[in-house]
Amino acid sequence: MHDNVIDRSRDITILELLDRVLNKGVILTGDIVISVADVDLVYLGVKLMLSSVETMEQLKSGKSIIEK
Amino acid sequence: MEIMIYALLSVKKKPERLHALLAGMNGIAGADLHQLSFDEITAVVSNMSRASLIADKSTAMEYAAVIETLSKHFILLPMRFGSVMESNEAIIHMLERNYHDIQQNLLKVERKFEFGLKVFCDSEKLMAELREKSEAVSKTQRTTVAEIKNSASRIWVNKKLKEHRLEELLVTYVDSVIAEITGQLDRLKTISKIKKMVTPTTIIDGVFLLDKALKDELIHAVGDLQNKFPGLNFILTGPWPPYNFVDFTVK
Repeated sequence: MHDNVIDRSRDITILELLDRVLNKGVILTGDIVISVADVDLVYLGVKLMLSSVETMEQLKSGKSIIEK
Repeated sequence: MEIMIYALLSVKKKPERLHALLAGMNGIAGADLHQLSFDEITAVVSNMSRASLIADKSTAMEYAAVIETLSKHFILLPMRFGSVMESNEAIIHMLERNYHDIQQNLLKVERKFEFGLKVFCDSEKLMAELREKSEAVSKTQRTTVAEIKNSASRIWVNKKLKEHRLEELLVTYVDSVIAEITGQLDRLKTISKIKKMVTPTTIIDGVFLLDKALKDELIHAVGDLQNKFPGLNFILTGPWPPYNFVDFTVK
């Protein structure tokens, strides 16, 4: 049980971190969108966010976690 | 060759401390970090080749790690991943053009950290409980609906009324939880941003900016909230750099 809690905590932390670093923070306008193999960063962000929501849904039944 | 920007810092009287810190750190793909300044504001940056950059999860995490480390030593505004400019000169000009906004935002987050709070529910169970309440309300209002003579219309109106009551009860319930949360956290002088009903199971998604010294009190307050709402699942994360509290776009 303890390991499960730690695993869930780690997953949530990574998802929260990716949400912040890809979608929050100071925005620089009129500049470059990084692209790799014709998949630009905005699309990469959307994919990661969809994954985040799905994983969060799976985690909903877990106990309260206070950890980063 | 372009320049990746990680964060905007208030260095003030500690430029040598930043210099020493950056000497022991690397940016994404192992790149050297350096600083570009205008007056009291500094941008931490690294050279990068757009063609060689792999914009994947691990790179995003490397980027975040730089911001995380810097945030332990300096007041900063994190840049969104992918903030790239063409030259050092362009970045210095950007700092100059946006100096006032950057200063104001740095002042707002001084000695503060961000925390995230998500509240999940078992949506089926919660909706079943609210449906029971809704049924009780509908019994008291039956006479109004019964005035409609056409049975097909009555069925349709009844169905719509039930859905509407259920939605109202859900919103009222979520608002009551938010009121409890803000009531608990307002005494910690937090600045908050709260979204409700993000998904059927994520009923609250909030971020809070509060003084570093109040971290333990926040954890305690969220523990109290969890005890008060045992049917919900409170998840608190942090402390984070203030990603959600930088309210401007640099030009």
